[in-house]
Amino acid sequence: MKNLLSKPGQPAPRMGAGLLQFLVLALFCLFAVRLWYLQIHLGPVFTEKSRNNQLRTEYIFAPRGFLRDRNGELLAVNEPAFALGLVREDCDDIEATLTKVSEWSGIPLERLKEVYQRNKPKVKSFEPLTLVPDMDYDLIAKVEGSAVRWPGLEIISRTRRKYNYGQLLAHILGFVGEANEAEMQADASLSLGDFVGKQGLENKFDARLRGAKGRRMIEVDVTGRRLSEELQREPKAGEEIFLSIDLSLQQLGHKALEGKTGAVVVMDPDTGEIHAMVSEPSYDSNAFTAGLSAAQWAELRDNPAHPLQNRATQGVYPPGSVFKLVMAADALSENAIDPSETVQCAGELALGNHVFRCWKRGGHGTVNLQRALVESCDVYFYKLGARLGVDRVSAFAKAAGFGTPTGVDLPHEKSGLIPSREWKMKRYGVRWTKGEDLNLGIGQGYTGVTPLQVARFIAALINGGKVMKPLLIRGETPQQLASLPMSAEAAAIVKRDMVATVEDPRGTCHRILTSGVLVGAKTGSAQVVRLTDELKRMGDAVPYKYRDHAWMAGFAERGNRRFVVVALVEHGMHGASGAGPVVKTMIDALFMGKKELPPQDTAGVEGPASPAARLNAVETQFPEPAAAETPEAQEAPEKPAPADKEAPQ
Amino acid sequence: MSPIDRRMFYHVNWPLIWIIGGLFLVGVLNLYSASGVRLGDGMQVENFYQKQLIWGLMGLLGMAAFMTFDYRRLSAVAWPLYAVTLIFLLAVPFAGKTISGARRWLDFGLFSFQPSELAKFAVLLVGARLLSEEGERLGLKELSFVLLLGFVPALMIIKQPDLGTGMLVLLLLGGLVLYRGIKPWLFRTLCVVVPTLTPLLWFVLKDYQKRRILAFLDPATDPLGSGYHILQSEIAVGSGRLFGKGFLAGTQSQLRFLPEKHTDFAVAVFGEEWGFFGMMVLLSLFCAFLYQIASVARDAKDPFGSYLAAGVFFYFFWQILINMGMVMGLMPVVGVPLPFVSYGGSATLVNFGLVGLVLNVSMRRFLFKQT
Repeated sequence: MKNLLSKPGQPAPRMGAGLLQFLVLALFCLFAVRLWYLQIHLGPVFTEKSRNNQLRTEYIFAPRGFLRDRNGELLAVNEPAFALGLVREDCDDIEATLTKVSEWSGIPLERLKEVYQRNKPKVKSFEPLTLVPDMDYDLIAKVEGSAVRWPGLEIISRTRRKYNYGQLLAHILGFVGEANEAEMQADASLSLGDFVGKQGLENKFDARLRGAKGRRMIEVDVTGRRLSEELQREPKAGEEIFLSIDLSLQQLGHKALEGKTGAVVVMDPDTGEIHAMVSEPSYDSNAFTAGLSAAQWAELRDNPAHPLQNRATQGVYPPGSVFKLVMAADALSENAIDPSETVQCAGELALGNHVFRCWKRGGHGTVNLQRALVESCDVYFYKLGARLGVDRVSAFAKAAGFGTPTGVDLPHEKSGLIPSREWKMKRYGVRWTKGEDLNLGIGQGYTGVTPLQVARFIAALINGGKVMKPLLIRGETPQQLASLPMSAEAAAIVKRDMVATVEDPRGTCHRILTSGVLVGAKTGSAQVVRLTDELKRMGDAVPYKYRDHAWMAGFAERGNRRFVVVALVEHGMHGASGAGPVVKTMIDALFMGKKELPPQDTAGVEGPASPAARLNAVETQFPEPAAAETPEAQEAPEKPAPADKEAPQ
Repeated sequence: MSPIDRRMFYHVNWPLIWIIGGLFLVGVLNLYSASGVRLGDGMQVENFYQKQLIWGLMGLLGMAAFMTFDYRRLSAVAWPLYAVTLIFLLAVPFAGKTISGARRWLDFGLFSFQPSELAKFAVLLVGARLLSEEGERLGLKELSFVLLLGFVPALMIIKQPDLGTGMLVLLLLGGLVLYRGIKPWLFRTLCVVVPTLTPLLWFVLKDYQKRRILAFLDPATDPLGSGYHILQSEIAVGSGRLFGKGFLAGTQSQLRFLPEKHTDFAVAVFGEEWGFFGMMVLLSLFCAFLYQIASVARDAKDPFGSYLAAGVFFYFFWQILINMGMVMGLMPVVGVPLPFVSYGGSATLVNFGLVGLVLNVSMRRFLFKQT
């Protein structure tokens, strides 16, 4: 070794003495700078990260507010439900476990995997990931029975919304569902698995019903074990909401409409509170909370009867003769007519080269306003239409709340349509014609209204001209949205004539006469299609889908109790026979305490004049618009119809 | 002469003793906190700090023992000790005890020990003896021979596998070589060749070691896997900010987010609880410690003593650099403990023994050559 490394006489060099001191200095500087960077410069960042490690926020469930009817009957409650969750941390074999769950539940494995993959990033490994949101007892038993063999599977108890009258109130209450991505984005307080209102009042009043989740700060260690917890906010239960709906009245309306397609609205004219609002056919709200399969959803969506549609707020129909009330109120208010002024009805009215027919072939003879309303004389209102003109009529109708949503607290309300010269020019590029003034007078043509709009107008007629916001919540402060530009005298005359329509044996609404109650009403029938000669010859045997929609809109009062009742029956043919029984049922229930349906009508018994009227209706020769159906007025006739067809008793 | 000359006591390097005393006490105090685990309201402290205290007292005895004899005698022991070390290391794969996946231990019934600990000492002695001999700067031949002496035990240790200790053996020797100095042309060549060949080491590394290096380069790629250690350690140190969260109040450590918190990552606990301020105190202590050893190396009476002290210097220097670098996210995760701060029985004994050796060299710096 000596030979290899040493040369005699030379001392071993100690170059390193300076090196060592340099290294010490370098070490100090390197670490000092790094520590400054980590602890001072990035200190706040790491402090935040350390807090995130240590503290977890946990939310405490707040029960959703119950929904009750005006008498306190429970309509929507919460019931216990069980979900199947998977705690990833505890699970030995995810694949095998999912396969087993698929075998037990019958849910396809791919679907479970998809759910698993989708939620995996959002759920911490020691928290349960929901695989099956709603387990039946069979599945619970299976999971319970072999929990030991499948670690990680966990039964989570939670609550589910339950609608005690799922079918009856679906259109009003709507339903809840698990919050989706967009809803969670929009509302930071929502997290995975939370329920939110998706439709109806559940949706509109979601914030009130949902309450506020409580919040707990939990200190955890690295395994997720809780060390301490601090309640930061108590959960606030959702508010209980009392609807203005009267459950028994609603049930009766449902029965009255059973098997039919249509809607009925019962409204307090002074407050705007809705006591019943039925739309048939309906669907079951509970089906949605349990989670709808694709097939079930497709069936509901594609059902030709549109059960998802709330016909009271979303069904737009031509008002037919019900519109004559608007005409009368407008004309009287503007002093355009004298109530005693008479018109000769010969069964038809000629304008230019075409003839407008009255539904009554032989004509009504000499009619004043009252008789024209009572017997629903078309010729009188053709003339009134011509006299007032579209500008005045549409202005008044809009002031009465037609053509705009009523503002009721339900989502996706339709606005209907009140035509005007500008509208027609814009829509079709064609000028408004004089003939269309005539059709407007009897509520045919482009005009489209919802049953709720009609109810609100009737309410305004009898409450002194107040256009109210329809309310679904009991005791809510009434809101007057507008005033009908109508004189008190005009209102009194129209009201008197409506009463006459019921009380006069010749009146179209005579069948709803109720002893001891002041009842006034007006019928209407809304043409679905222009009847061809062939269809006309068929009379009452006309195919269902071509039959007219039947309207009846009225009010009933005794003492200081009064209500507006509006019924619409799709393809019900005649106002009196189609919608009349529904209205009568409601009035009886409201005032006579009768909770039963009146004896059923047999088809064809009423209105012998009706087939004849239909046969005599003359095809109009108005130029047919390119696309006569307006977007709002789904049920609007294809083209203006020439005549109204009423069936007097 | 008697092994201990009375005069030598006047020359004992008291500053060095105070410094390691201080470092050791800080270490034990920190270990008390690092052994604690919060359970609900209470806290459970494991007894690592007590064990460390006992090891430390034994270490003091060992340190005293290492001062009693004249260090120059070690020169004669160097080669026999090196030979024995190689035999032990060879025996490990056949007779060794496997603890947590690594075969590092030889069991002698009454006690078991790691030949790799012995290897550090043997390489230190052999290196000091060889390099302290007279001569000029090292040429290629000499350098190759010295490095070969290091690589043989180092590779055997790395195979166990114990990358940290193996690397330490090589780095210690490398430090000594630099201390001695190599020929300028060779130095320049190495400056080019070593960085070029280093990437080839990649193919030698085991998968978990590769992952650690990747995780070091980008901890965010796998925050729950290999990057976890680095990330949690940085969070612990960083969240300490200026004055720390206070003694026993570190959440990263008490709630066990920090892994290996009483061994390799013990200093992260300190950083979390005492902040930048505390860390600067600790860093200053370590630097003063190293500076004292460097002074001893400079002032040693003879080259062998100087190289012994330099070897000890590098032994501590590399560990401090690697361990604290790792905790601060400057180095990949390598299982190298921090002297006097990380828990470890045999390491504490060795550390105190080596400090004893430095004190030995220091106290004899004024003695005249006696032969």
